Order: sequence, then C-alpha cells, then structure tokens
Amino acid sequence: MSDEITTAKIGQQVPDFELTVYEPENHGFGSRNLADLKKAGKWTILFFYPADFTFV
Amino acid sequence: MGAELITVSTDTEFVHLAWKRDEKELADVKYAMGADPTGKLSRLFGVYDEGSGLALRGTFIISPDGTLFNSEVNFYNMGRNIDELMRKFKANLYLARKADEGCPSKWKDDGDKTLRPGPEMVGRVHEALQD
Repeated sequence: MSDEITTAKIGQQVPDFELTVYEPENHGFGSRNLADLKKAGKWTILFFYPADFTFV
Repeated sequence: MGAELITVSTDTEFVHLAWKRDEKELADVKYAMGADPTGKLSRLFGVYDEGSGLALRGTFIISPDGTLFNSEVNFYNMGRNIDELMRKFKANLYLARKADEGCPSKWKDDGDKTLRPGPEMVGRVHEALQD
C-alpha cells in the first residue's frame, strides 16, 4: 500500500505547496507558493491555528 | 526581515475576510491569511486533526532554500508566545550565517552569548556559558 501523504521533516526540504490567501493589505484574494517565496530569497513562517473567530 | 508570515487554518479565504473585518484584535493585521479547506497543507505539516477537520496550533519556519528549520506544535487551547517565535526566528537567521555556533536556550538576539561545540566543551558547558 502506498502512502501518498508525506510529512515535512526538520532539516529536510519542504515539498512545494500553493495556498489561496486573503490579503488584508489589498482587501483581496491571492495566492502564495513556496517556489516563489524561495525565488524571492524569503524565509517562510507558517502559523497554523484551528479556526477563525477563536484565539490563535 | 526578509520573511513572509502566513497564517493558515482550514477556513476559506472568505471566512478569513469576514473575521478580519469583524474582529478588532485583527485591525492591524497585514500578513496573508491562508485557506486550507481541504487540509492538504495541514496534513503536509502533520497538524491536521482528522476527527475535527481542524489544524492544530503548529508553527513552522522554512529557510529561503526550502529547508524546514523549526517546528512547534501545541495541542488545542494552548496559545503560542510570539516572543519565543521571534527568538527562534532570529536564532535561525544567526545560525544560517554562523553554522559552527550554537544558540543556547537563553540566547535572545545578535550579540548574546553563543557556544562553539567542540571537544574542549565536553563536560564544560557550564564554564562556556559563563564567559
């Protein structure tokens, strides 16, 4: 049985990902992907939380 | 600081917009709010709770070359300390420049005491932290 879900591991390369985002500064929607962030020479901090309308 | 902060929950971007508009605590928010309704990204980082369909409180720091440098996951109901996140982030920036040094637990910012692991430090960490 193949396990298609890979989990990011410390010290290893994170697989590329793309994410739809709400951009408060533009009052609009956009997207972010890891490949572009890497190209821009940026560090990426992902901050997960359970749900909007709760504390984070 | 050459970093992009993206918050992520399994809510859609539309809910993010509504929350941002309603909640006064978010008045100053400038970072992008990521939508992961399928849980794909949450699963990639091991924070997806299959039972609830929600993401646990996880923080991940990825370097510009795509390496995962830091991971912190809290169970529900435990908030994170932003000062500690910033400490870890600054330490990562520092160590990316000086890979042969170590930032001990009390390291807070550039100029603070670092360690150089090596044979002379074996059994002498206490002394190394003093000077």
